[in-house]
Amino acid sequence: MTTQSKRHFIKSSLALGTAAAIPSLVAPAHAQGAPVRIGYAIARTGPWTGGAQVSQEPNFLLWAEQQNAAGGLNVKGTRRPIELVSSDDRSDVETCVRTYEKLMGSDKVDLVLPPWGSNANFAVAPLANRFGYPFLAPTALSKRLIEMKLPYFFLLLQQPAPMTTALVDMLKANGVKTAAVIYVDDLFGLENYAALKVALQGSGINLVEDKSYPGGVKDLSPVLRSIKDKNPDAFIGFTYPPDTILASRQAKEIGFNPKFFYASVGTAFQLYRNVMQAGAEGVLGMGSWNSKTTPAAKAYFDAHVKKFGAAKEPDRWASGHCWAGLEILTAAVAKVGLDRKAIRDYVATTEHNTIIGKVKFNGSENVATPGTVSQWQKGEFEVVWPKKNATAELIANKPAWK
Amino acid sequence: MSFGAWAELIASGLITGGVYALIALGLNLQYGLMRILNIAHGEFLMIGAFLTWQVQTSFGISPLLMAPVSFALLLGVGWVIHRLCFKRLTATSPNLDIFEARGLMVSFGLMFLVQNFVSLVWGGDLRGYDYLTDPVQFGDARFAANKLLLAAIALAVSIGLIVLLSKTLLGKGVRALMQSPTGATLVGIDTERLHPLMFGVGLGLSGLAGCLLSMTYAISPSMGEPYTVTALIVITLGGFGSMTGSLIAGLALGVIEALGMHFTSPSLKSLLSYSIFIAVLLWKPKGLFKK
Repeated sequence: MTTQSKRHFIKSSLALGTAAAIPSLVAPAHAQGAPVRIGYAIARTGPWTGGAQVSQEPNFLLWAEQQNAAGGLNVKGTRRPIELVSSDDRSDVETCVRTYEKLMGSDKVDLVLPPWGSNANFAVAPLANRFGYPFLAPTALSKRLIEMKLPYFFLLLQQPAPMTTALVDMLKANGVKTAAVIYVDDLFGLENYAALKVALQGSGINLVEDKSYPGGVKDLSPVLRSIKDKNPDAFIGFTYPPDTILASRQAKEIGFNPKFFYASVGTAFQLYRNVMQAGAEGVLGMGSWNSKTTPAAKAYFDAHVKKFGAAKEPDRWASGHCWAGLEILTAAVAKVGLDRKAIRDYVATTEHNTIIGKVKFNGSENVATPGTVSQWQKGEFEVVWPKKNATAELIANKPAWK
Repeated sequence: MSFGAWAELIASGLITGGVYALIALGLNLQYGLMRILNIAHGEFLMIGAFLTWQVQTSFGISPLLMAPVSFALLLGVGWVIHRLCFKRLTATSPNLDIFEARGLMVSFGLMFLVQNFVSLVWGGDLRGYDYLTDPVQFGDARFAANKLLLAAIALAVSIGLIVLLSKTLLGKGVRALMQSPTGATLVGIDTERLHPLMFGVGLGLSGLAGCLLSMTYAISPSMGEPYTVTALIVITLGGFGSMTGSLIAGLALGVIEALGMHFTSPSLKSLLSYSIFIAVLLWKPKGLFKK
């Protein structure tokens, strides 16, 4: 590159960096009183979009629409329209932080909804805490976030320890002796891998291979081949959606079909079934609910499909938790109004009834939802472990890839 | 490690490398010939992938049929983009260095334009479909049928392009332009026609690569960028303007990555690619195959 082009390159990069996303407004239909302004930044472009636009933003939109159709959000008895103030964070932590700083610091919106993913939540949570905004995050998975002890921050998703413990319990109960693990080398993968190692201690399950990989990996077959040679009973992948699909397709390609095949984010997506088709049968993954879990879950599922179409079902994990968070927020505002400290106290001290069952917080962690394992069975992602939460029986030996 | 395992590993590297080469050839055609460092190259790959996905899922049309269609469509798009943007730049830039710098800015703009256009039309969701995923057995080694198809087409088109450039009059014209634009113009080679055509062919190759990749990977509007970066590494390794260099460098990078991932960890893949990249830049700054 010439000096000139380098200079242009730097200039253009700077220009792009400062180009902030323009907020879009969702206007209310009909309701009395001044609108309740609720702000958020979410990925509409960039690598986080796949997760954010399945598990999170559709739920925000559906929720605002439902509330406004009912006359507005119930603020201590008064119905007020919801006005969503949202923008694209471009899958960029810095943009995300800056947007929330603006929403809470200068726009002074009434409430905020969280961004997508552990990394973004990790960056925004301390800020929300400083501004005193209750923050109910459905897509953050990190022990370190809990250890930060942020009073305004609540994690709805089951954390690495309960999730991996449930997985190990299930594997142990089904006579698994050996397992191999791959994990994405970021906060999500590392924490889950660490939690798995703890859960495996004393379980009698031997880890025959463990390898990390970078996000956005294009080929996992060399690793899968070396795992196949070691012939483990179980394969465990702490993976993101594109890698979940990549690992599944490549396992099928090389004929690696362990008794238990477990992958993480994305297994609960409708996309997984679309892409793997009959090959999805018997695949295990991170999931915690489906429309059979509770009647309210069924109503939510149906409303979601009605609004966004049959091609955009909510995923069977974080979507449910996201909706549960919105249910909790709705109940809190109805009870205590828009006093954010009071909302925080209500969320922290109440046992909530949600579509995924009871939710109760100890510090930031949701301790009422147990760790779960789900499995694709005849086109549905069924909860199979623990048995008290199960919507179907576990298929203990995965059928061959189709 | 058994012979079969080695064969499998190296073949999987060659498959990945074949795609790298195809994408890099397109980019090299644009940079080598016109000094357009098209940062948006991968975005056109993404368009090819989305078109194929859309047609496959809506009408059940085979992605294989979409391969020539993607190529032709993107060739047309490339032609138009060249007319709209780069032709004007050529006319208004006082020298080639300034043209290159301005071209870089324009392609950055194109990158965001295309990415957001696709987000607008198709949304940001991850997409995919099931096509020829059943494995094919070769002795001890097995590969998904769609990957073999992908590698075969990528290699055939890459070699075809190299032959075309070295054997035909059109190819001679293009090579002459690469070696000396002024000299080529003096002997009557028509840059007015060749430039938009070759820019179009570059994008066409990118669209074709996208079509092929959609058979094997989940696709999203952000899928293009990493391929642009890989293509940049490949053309730097092979030498700017050297087509055979791009092909060999692409294949070599694929194999080195596969071996590296097998014997170390996939997390070290980038370290490996960039180490080779830096080593080549230090040892042979013009690229391995540039005389």
